[in-house]
Amino acid sequence: MLKTFFPTLSRFRLAVQLVMLFVSVYGSVFVGTYMADKISNNLPALSCAYDQMNGGYCVLIPTQHIIHHRIGEALVRAQQLTFGMVLPLLMSFVAFFAFFFVLGKAFCGWVCPLGTLQELIGKLGRRFGIGLRRAEAGDLGDVRRVRPVKWLLLLALVFVLPLLTGLGVTPHSLGNPYCDICPSRVATTLLTGSTEQLALRVNDGIGFGLGAVANLLIGFTLVGALAIRQPFCRICPLLAFNAVFQRLSPMRLAKKMHDNCGKCGICSEACPMDIPEIAREEGRKAYHEDCTLCGRCAEYCPQDDVIQLKWGPFALFSSRRDYYKAKVKGELPDGTVKPVKFVRNPADA
Amino acid sequence: MKPSSVLALVAACLPAIAWSQHENHGTPPASAAEVRRPPAPREWTRQPLLLPGKNPRGERAQTLLRVQGIAPAVLSVHAPAGPAERRKVDYPVAPEGARIAPAAPQVGNYHWVVAREESAEAVKVASTAWYFSNPGDSPKELLRSVKHELEIVPAPLPREHGSYRESEKWRFLVRFEGQPLAGQPLTLETEFGSRSTFLTDRDGIATVLFPRDFKPATDQAGGDGHGPRRARFVLATEKEAAGRRYLTAFNHAYGQDADRDRSLGWGAAFGLVGMLAATPLLRRRAARPQGDNGNA
Ligand code: SF4
Ligand code: SF4
Repeated sequence: MLKTFFPTLSRFRLAVQLVMLFVSVYGSVFVGTYMADKISNNLPALSCAYDQMNGGYCVLIPTQHIIHHRIGEALVRAQQLTFGMVLPLLMSFVAFFAFFFVLGKAFCGWVCPLGTLQELIGKLGRRFGIGLRRAEAGDLGDVRRVRPVKWLLLLALVFVLPLLTGLGVTPHSLGNPYCDICPSRVATTLLTGSTEQLALRVNDGIGFGLGAVANLLIGFTLVGALAIRQPFCRICPLLAFNAVFQRLSPMRLAKKMHDNCGKCGICSEACPMDIPEIAREEGRKAYHEDCTLCGRCAEYCPQDDVIQLKWGPFALFSSRRDYYKAKVKGELPDGTVKPVKFVRNPADA
Repeated sequence: MKPSSVLALVAACLPAIAWSQHENHGTPPASAAEVRRPPAPREWTRQPLLLPGKNPRGERAQTLLRVQGIAPAVLSVHAPAGPAERRKVDYPVAPEGARIAPAAPQVGNYHWVVAREESAEAVKVASTAWYFSNPGDSPKELLRSVKHELEIVPAPLPREHGSYRESEKWRFLVRFEGQPLAGQPLTLETEFGSRSTFLTDRDGIATVLFPRDFKPATDQAGGDGHGPRRARFVLATEKEAAGRRYLTAFNHAYGQDADRDRSLGWGAAFGLVGMLAATPLLRRRAARPQGDNGNA
């Protein structure tokens, strides 16, 4: 029954993504207006609080807010850090983890509205024959060059600047700087028909600058996603945030070594995050900080049970040769839909 | 420039831009509690009001509320949740006002505050919803419960970190002893001198249009250079029943229309620049036939 509606894992994931896109962008229709009514105020996905119709908030909002208003301002008054000041932050992380425990980084690959938007655009790109560009040597450059950016953004914009603002060191408009540059804020509010977040604040220098960065990012992302898979995900601070906790959730990617590994490399070709480690490594190292648990690598690995999506001891999906064979008939690892020419046959590579 | 360098450049610029410093104003999400400002010296309404007093910066556990146009003995603070005996707490009113606090930690942000003056002939009520930074229950139940005879009930209240704003329409329910009042006039007055009247529909709901009436920032009302500019409004309604005259007012703050200090043109321009910056990624395809771009 499930098989008829969702013949492939990709199809099932797309269905989940579309439902979650609706819930995260328009969810207030079901859950209600107020904060307490939301699914959670600490979601591991870029479900934007500025969207007046959303169904839940992204965890980065309370994090910036608490660091700015609770910890920073309390430090100014008391001059010493007490447990009471960090408690709200811990509570917020606990609430976050209640969700994260279940799905882990699948929030990135299955729930995040910005991830879904980028993938939909990517599908358009493949459909219209726009050549795929990769973050790898020989094309856009080694993927490792861009990886530190997400950590920098997380540290600087979600933790350090809000704290300095709370301490009164940096001006008030740097209180939630990540939100101010977040392309999901612009995209999700535009989806509700509001242009307010696209418009830039004109009598506030910092506000203007940060907003301009958000708009540059969303503009770049919308067009770039035609050629690069998930361009924004690669620098997303929430990916970094989730990566901090990724080993604490039973949801994970499991990879064994096969003799072909490192030679065939179809999995990393299928990987929307251009992660070469998935082909080269095994175990912990193969489940990389950039992984969104989309499961494409498992779909495209032609060897039985080499790559698995697992929750604790349960294998939710395992790579299988016959699945792979059926899958590539409809879509190539890089997402190309019509197999015009199929150059790299893995079986006899 | 290689597209990869564009991507890297954009990414690398972010922290740098974020660090640049200017004098400026705050942005949402800011707590509503911190964007109030001192009252205008002249009275803009004769309706009874509950007004925020001066609070020390960073103080969110309690707040000073003043009364105007009414002489209550106490301010009653209704909580959205919490232990039964704390659901309604009375604070004696001193000359400078009353210092009110959330009923308990984690019971909810919005509390409902009532000032009441009563005689044999008349009942006068000033009411407002006060936002503490105190996450917990949603205000649904708080709004549903009956708190005095004649009530103006926001349906809904602005979401946390949201606010009433110029040019927006918001719904208010008018109830008498818990029952919706149809065809009841509800009068809106704003700090900037606008005045309009709305009638409730069959379900007791009036749809109130907030006038676009903010004066330039040089005016005494609005703006303290900290957060979006705000001004006050009051909704009032009256009713006679069983020989008594009931007057109820609900006052709160509204903000200026977001488009007043935002530019869609600039926003779209930067969005387009971002799009243009990505177009080289689309063009280079011819040079790289497909199938040739596997792992190097
Ligand atoms: S597709 Fe499978 S066999 Fe090929 S490199 Fe990846 S894990 Fe190894
Ligand atoms: S490693 Fe596999 S699951 Fe992770 S992002 Fe890449 S394709 Fe998706």
